[in-house]
Amino acid sequence: MIKLLFKRLGQGCLVIFVLQTITFFLVRMLPGNPFLGERKLPEHVMAQLNALYGLDQGALVQYGNYWKGIICSGDFGPSLVREGVQVADIIAQAFPVSLWLGVLGMGIAIVVGIPAGMMAAYWRNRWPDALFMLLAMAGICIPAFVIAPLFGLSLGMHVPGLSVAGWDDPLCAVLPALTLGLINAAYIARLTRGGMVEVLSADFIRTARAKGVRAGRLLFVHALRSGLLPAVSYLGPAFAALITGSFVVETCFQVPGMGLHFVNATTDRDYFLIQGLVFCYGVLIVIANLVVDLVLVALNPRLRSQGAA
Amino acid sequence: MSGGGKWMFCFLTYCSLAHRVLCGRIVRVVKMLPFMCVCVAALLLSGCGDSRSSAEKAAEQGVLIVGNNQEPMSLDPHKATAVADGKIIAALLEGLVRPDAQDETRIHPGMAERWEHNADATVWTFYLREACWSDGKPVTAHDFVYAYHRLLHPEFGGKYAEMLYPLWHAEEFNRGTRTWEEVGVKALDDRRLQLTLTCPTPHLLHLLLHFTWCPVPAHAVEAHGGMLDRRSLWSRVGNWVGNGAYVLDSHHFNDYLLVAANPRYWRAHEVRNRGIRFLPIVNGYTETRMFMDGKLHISNNVPPELLAVARRQRPDAYCQDTYYCTIFYRLNTKRPPLDDVRVRRALALAVDRDSLVNDVVRGAGRAASCFTPPGAGYDHSFAFAPQGERAELARRLLAEAGYPDGKGFPVLEIMTTSRDVQRIMAETIQAMWQRELGIHVEIRACEWTAYKAAQQNGDYDISSSSWSGDYLDPATFVELWRSGGGNNCTGWGSPAFDKALNEARRASSSAVRLACLCQAESIMLEAQPVIPLYWSERTYLKSPAVEGWYPLLLDNHPLDAVQVKP
Repeated sequence: MIKLLFKRLGQGCLVIFVLQTITFFLVRMLPGNPFLGERKLPEHVMAQLNALYGLDQGALVQYGNYWKGIICSGDFGPSLVREGVQVADIIAQAFPVSLWLGVLGMGIAIVVGIPAGMMAAYWRNRWPDALFMLLAMAGICIPAFVIAPLFGLSLGMHVPGLSVAGWDDPLCAVLPALTLGLINAAYIARLTRGGMVEVLSADFIRTARAKGVRAGRLLFVHALRSGLLPAVSYLGPAFAALITGSFVVETCFQVPGMGLHFVNATTDRDYFLIQGLVFCYGVLIVIANLVVDLVLVALNPRLRSQGAA
Repeated sequence: MSGGGKWMFCFLTYCSLAHRVLCGRIVRVVKMLPFMCVCVAALLLSGCGDSRSSAEKAAEQGVLIVGNNQEPMSLDPHKATAVADGKIIAALLEGLVRPDAQDETRIHPGMAERWEHNADATVWTFYLREACWSDGKPVTAHDFVYAYHRLLHPEFGGKYAEMLYPLWHAEEFNRGTRTWEEVGVKALDDRRLQLTLTCPTPHLLHLLLHFTWCPVPAHAVEAHGGMLDRRSLWSRVGNWVGNGAYVLDSHHFNDYLLVAANPRYWRAHEVRNRGIRFLPIVNGYTETRMFMDGKLHISNNVPPELLAVARRQRPDAYCQDTYYCTIFYRLNTKRPPLDDVRVRRALALAVDRDSLVNDVVRGAGRAASCFTPPGAGYDHSFAFAPQGERAELARRLLAEAGYPDGKGFPVLEIMTTSRDVQRIMAETIQAMWQRELGIHVEIRACEWTAYKAAQQNGDYDISSSSWSGDYLDPATFVELWRSGGGNNCTGWGSPAFDKALNEARRASSSAVRLACLCQAESIMLEAQPVIPLYWSERTYLKSPAVEGWYPLLLDNHPLDAVQVKP
């Protein structure tokens, strides 16, 4: 297990390094630069700004300086568009919001998706199966930019306590979390159903049924552990994606999370902020995948023996 | 029940329900239905405990909530460039003069108690009042000198330094060819500031309303990195020092920015609210929904698609104000066939502007017959000939240029940003040109920075553009088209046009000056490097509880005069 952990951590560091390198050169290939305003800047002003932030140096020198800043002082650099603000400050303000929303959304996704998938599998090819899978397909097909305003208009405007948008009240998190949660619940329900259908037709379940094990025990104790494996593999990256924010949901509900910064930084060419956010996202993906690997090993004894071998 | 408890309760009910369903005990679930109904009712009722909206609660605390379009780039007046930044800075800093809440042609004394100028309005002396910064230090003429020095300093890289170019030798200093001592700014003593200008500028007071002319607290800037430090933190929460009606209270990126009344402001007793909460809502649909749900007092923008709904549902709140802004198409005169004035005129004549105003922006504008919107005593607009005649003339011109019925006309490209309204407008004009002239144009929607880069590098055929006035004077529009001007971007230039502009600069009276500008604009319109489409109008929602907010051409509302009634 420890060996697996270290192996995965090593791979993770390599992934982040490659990710940062590709991002670094890719964003500099985009047309325009961070200082382009609506009005054209005089050339001497543009030159001053480039010199100030070291953007007048060669790409490799800039690349070296970037890593030097991170490794020597943990400095992700300044925001080039919001001058005077550090990238770390922006992430520090936005990440807790996205984290909270992501945890809530994932909670909803799990609480709705897994039981729905289990029920669909249990009553396979009967009406609950058709109903849940129809809803799941709808959840996958209808994009967030449709669901979010619909929730805002239908629930936010009419249910007391809920809010159409904004972040000035704890209950403001409900609708964005619900939007994120239900979309992910749809995927989880389908994956859970797939896993459970396979397990429920396995010999050991038939034996358990023959022995007279009750439905609840059969599902929760015997089948769930193996049936959840596909959903668990999906949960890791999905959770990382959720807690790094969703641009669409954050725009529709005016949530001050990471998703808005992600897209705005890219359209504004805020090089250091893009790097910082990609770094953050990369680290979270690596951690989430690591946790998923560990959970899978815990759930599936066959993997454990492979790991030991 | 508290918010968290309420949802925890729901969650537990759900778990219990799911378990029972899974265990096949549906009968029990049916039995539980009445209990669940009671739970849901309790949940809804608990939400009704405080039925007041955010806007109502804020109004009781004397806080105004305003939609501000986007997250401010900076609150430092020397680094800010966006309109959204300017609105916040106007609440935080006060310049030599301040605007009127109702009439933009009227200017009130701000930090300057009074002023005088020489006969040709090239040397102005401002007498400062006794006022202090929010930390108690006095505001002196040296703070103004420090501010202008900082913005113009060649090593600072002030993006809006050109706003101070009317000052004698300011441009040369900014380009590093003169010293600061030669620039026309002088503190005669602590309370007297003298500005020397390059040319007679009777409209100087209107220029001074722009945030680039505000003072900055020299002591605070020096305490946080010094004059030339662009990364200076003096304008962040906790360090902020200002002389305006408000001080910076808190700021959460993409969430809100709160300013609170400044007790040390010289007119503190006249400030009508205790604070202002600026919400950086980019999405007009979200903002309109939030207004309808009682989340803000004044929204920034109602998208064209929602205008009918807004007018119908909230006639008491819907506002449509004339705005000092022109929506137009730039034509790249360096590229054939747009280098032929007949082609440019044909394209302009074939556009039915009334149809654009009525169908694309749903009445939120006025068809533009010239480039500069009427205002500030200047009106160059004229009545259009019927569209049929205009289209006929357009076809004739295009035929003269060698493209009868559009035959042989190369495929041009309209470049727009990714905003819906721009895309729809481009599609409408594409159809008009196809119908009237028989020519086909493509549409290229770019994201914002790519669009700006392409426009500034002249990498486009036709560019969907807009321009809003920085100050209330036609020069802010006409000066745009000076040969080689940074924002011209069309490649067009004319010595006659530049000459008329220079005459306007030297004009001794306001009437002569306006006549020169009018003449310059006529020359420009004759050459048609741009197609003026419409003068935009601001559409927004304003709560009936708001008082002291009046339609203003430049949309620079002094927010200290605005009050929200509980």
